[in-house]
Amino acid sequence: MSGVRAVRISIESACEKQVQEVGLDGTETYLQPLSMSQNLARLAQRIDFSQGSGSEEEEAAGAEGDAQDWAGAGSSADQDDEEGLVKFQPSLWPWDSVRNNLRSALTEMCVLYDVLSIVRDKKFMTLDPVSQDALPPKQNPQTLQLMSKKKSLAGAAQILLKGAERLTKSVTENQENKLQRDFNSELLRLRQHWKLRKVGDKILGDLSYRSAGSLFPHHGTFEVIKNTDLDLDKKIPEDYCPLDVQIPSDLEGSAYIKVSIQKQSPDIGDLGTVNLFKRPLPKSKPGSPHWQTKLEAAQNVLLCKEIFAQLSREAVQIKSQIPHIVVKNQIISQPFPNLQLSISLCHSSNDKKSQKFAPEKQSPEDHLYVLEHNLHLLIREFHKQTLSSIMMPHPASAPFGHKRMRLSGPQAFDKNEINSLQSSEGLLEKIIKQAKHIFLRSRTAATIDSLASRIEDPQIQAHWSNINDVYESSVKVLITSQGYEQICKCHSTRYMQFSSLPRLWAGRY
Amino acid sequence: MGTIVSQMPVAEGKSVQQTVELLTRKLEMLGAEKQGTFCVDCETYHTAASTLGSQGQTGKLMYVMHNSEYPLSCFALFENGPCLIADTNFDVLMVKLKGFFQSAKASKIETRGTRYQYCDFLVKVGTVTMGPSARGISVEVEYGPCVVASDCWSLLLEFLQSFLGSHTPGAPAVFGNRHDVVYGPADTMVQYMELFNKIRKQQQVPVAGIR
Repeated sequence: MSGVRAVRISIESACEKQVQEVGLDGTETYLQPLSMSQNLARLAQRIDFSQGSGSEEEEAAGAEGDAQDWAGAGSSADQDDEEGLVKFQPSLWPWDSVRNNLRSALTEMCVLYDVLSIVRDKKFMTLDPVSQDALPPKQNPQTLQLMSKKKSLAGAAQILLKGAERLTKSVTENQENKLQRDFNSELLRLRQHWKLRKVGDKILGDLSYRSAGSLFPHHGTFEVIKNTDLDLDKKIPEDYCPLDVQIPSDLEGSAYIKVSIQKQSPDIGDLGTVNLFKRPLPKSKPGSPHWQTKLEAAQNVLLCKEIFAQLSREAVQIKSQIPHIVVKNQIISQPFPNLQLSISLCHSSNDKKSQKFAPEKQSPEDHLYVLEHNLHLLIREFHKQTLSSIMMPHPASAPFGHKRMRLSGPQAFDKNEINSLQSSEGLLEKIIKQAKHIFLRSRTAATIDSLASRIEDPQIQAHWSNINDVYESSVKVLITSQGYEQICKCHSTRYMQFSSLPRLWAGRY
Repeated sequence: MGTIVSQMPVAEGKSVQQTVELLTRKLEMLGAEKQGTFCVDCETYHTAASTLGSQGQTGKLMYVMHNSEYPLSCFALFENGPCLIADTNFDVLMVKLKGFFQSAKASKIETRGTRYQYCDFLVKVGTVTMGPSARGISVEVEYGPCVVASDCWSLLLEFLQSFLGSHTPGAPAVFGNRHDVVYGPADTMVQYMELFNKIRKQQQVPVAGIR
């Protein structure tokens, strides 16, 4: 149709009636709008009863078809044909689905009612509650707090008790240990004092002075053994020690060096008498274990042996005007005529044999303790010398020996200089000089005293100095005239040396 | 310290030994006392050819000497060069330095004899031998107290005259070079080295009494 004109668009509300058919002449036949009941039916048809319950999921489609199918399935087999018809004509009766759903709901309700009635009897069916967590009783908060506090306190108390128990156990153990010591703890104590090493399955120790610079060839090894002669039945003795030391047989017992000066020389037959003695065992320090005293005694024996060996070697080698005599364990020399110095090594072992001899009466004036002490000091000096920095080479590749000796090559020292470097005096010579000095000093003091007592005018006073050297002493002799002390004094100071004549330095004013 | 080393020519008609005996008798008559023996020896090394280079310069000679007066020392010297005083380990070192210093064959020369002390003087009379043969006589006189060489030269000369007679040597070169310089053992060794060289160049001492 030509002649396009403005098309009028009209918007109509939805409540317009639906068109059923349009006639050939343009007339429209309207469908009658649904009446109230028809509308209700339509809406009811739309209800999906399966969705609300949520039980049967296979019917969760929610479409009318489902409802119809279900309704159809619910019918008996006789109505199969009708079902087929029903399927194909879903809008057979709008209330059908509603009726079916209601019917199923009724069925379910009846079942529920039956179940409940049976359960009520409790004969054939019972209901059991599902176990749930115990809800805290809200009605008693205080008791609950009290109980919880009690529990926690009990737990803390348990821990503390356990700890206290442990402490008391260790304390009692320590106390027990003082009496009944463990081998390993004793070994630890031993290691703190002595050098130990393990050789195979033996534990050996070293009690020689070799690490301190001694050159004595004695090995000085002792063995540490377990003390197994413990009778468990009997009571454990007080001084029981699970550790025992075995010292070499020649170091057993105790020894000391005796130096004495005798006025007249004894008979030849008396020479070399072994000075056996039964010396009381030196009191060990309280608390020091028995192995400590044993080892210290053995070390002392070794040192005395070394001193005596050194002295006897020098006595034989060094040429002197009056030769020294070395007999058995005694060295005899004559520093002055009619004066005899004897140095002897007194070693008593602990075997039963030696105890048979009656102990000799040892007069205290016999010993010159000062010289004995000096001997020990001298040998230690000698030890230290071997380890001193003068001997130790710098650089480390240089040969051992005195520092200046190493320079003697490059500086072309002649024989005199070399001799002056090498230590000239041995142990024996030093001791003899010291003995001479002691003798001279006592002699001089006696002489001065006798003079002072004999001569009344002028008065002689002698003041001996306390500070002396081993080779030198000093005395101040004051000679005064009674009544004239302040006006004019004459005093002399004497310095004595070991040589045969005391030298005199006099001052006068 | 001041020392003179000189050579005593062998008396005519006598062997080396007899001359030495003469000298020692003279000394003993003087009043010197015998104090043992002494020995001074010398070995020669020359620098190895490998270190010389292609120029073909002659290698230097090095002398390694020992003196019993300084028993712990070893002296190494070049002809006109420095003198090294070392420890006795130096000999072992020389073995290690074989590559640089090779020992000249049959070069060891030494003098041995007796040592006399006469107050401050130390007199050593020795026979110089090279191998089995005696080549000459060495006389060394040391005056202990003096360390400055030039000061004691005249005193030494007088002393030498008293027992060497006409064979007194002249002033050694060592004294001439340095005045007022402290004398040291190195100078003695230099004198010995010169003496040995002189003796080496001499012909062999004719053996007396062949005829």
